[in-house]
Amino acid sequence: MQRRKFLNFTLGALALAVVPASVRAENFRETKPTVWTAHTVDDAIKAMFGSSETIKDGVKVKTQDVASNGGAIPIEFSTKIPAKTVALFQDANPEAAVCAYSVGKNDITNYSVKIKMAKSGTVTVVVEGLDGKLYSGSKTLEVALGGCEG
Amino acid sequence: MKVKAKLKNGVISVKAMAKHEMSTYNQAQKKTGDRENANFITHITATLKSSGETVLDMSTSQFLSKNPIFKFKFKGAEAGDVVLMNWVDRKGGTGKGKGKIKGK
Repeated sequence: MQRRKFLNFTLGALALAVVPASVRAENFRETKPTVWTAHTVDDAIKAMFGSSETIKDGVKVKTQDVASNGGAIPIEFSTKIPAKTVALFQDANPEAAVCAYSVGKNDITNYSVKIKMAKSGTVTVVVEGLDGKLYSGSKTLEVALGGCEG
Repeated sequence: MKVKAKLKNGVISVKAMAKHEMSTYNQAQKKTGDRENANFITHITATLKSSGETVLDMSTSQFLSKNPIFKFKFKGAEAGDVVLMNWVDRKGGTGKGKGKIKGK
């Protein structure tokens, strides 16, 4: 009995010791599976951050006004707000979520990524600040040729 | 996976490309008749070789472009260090790449 207790205790302690290292690398597909199946931007933001009320300020989103090829639309987004999480959504495809970043202490929140959009729509970037508040920025663009048929 | 890293004024800019089909559920449905055949990268990470520190952690969906190109920036590394990148896809496939930080 004594030994079992000891084992339990050490295993518990080990598990605790491991946690801080893995906190940084959060795979949102495992921790928040509902985000990736949500069909509207609002639902996806709610699933990701618990609320869809955001302060519409402080997040810059840059992209073309008219994308000729919906299969690869470059989107650039940045913020000066100290961020914990950054996520990108759009409303042109069947599901809303595109990607989510967990931001580290040395990361600069300036990302660029190429995405697919089936039709014209709006891309929304939501930033969860270290202060716990949500900030967002969005940009509407026209897509001349749909990229992925959904 | 191709990785290019450049250091300028203390900021490292990384440009990376992963070779992947990135098929969506609808594309899989059309091509193979089964939406479960969709396969896309779900998680991408980048770490520094010297310290093991994670500098990019990105969960992704099927809506990244085919052979997605992405850029990110970070601080706190020196030229000569190596950025190691890994991805995992929906079917459990993996890929990796590395790039030496250039510049001064």
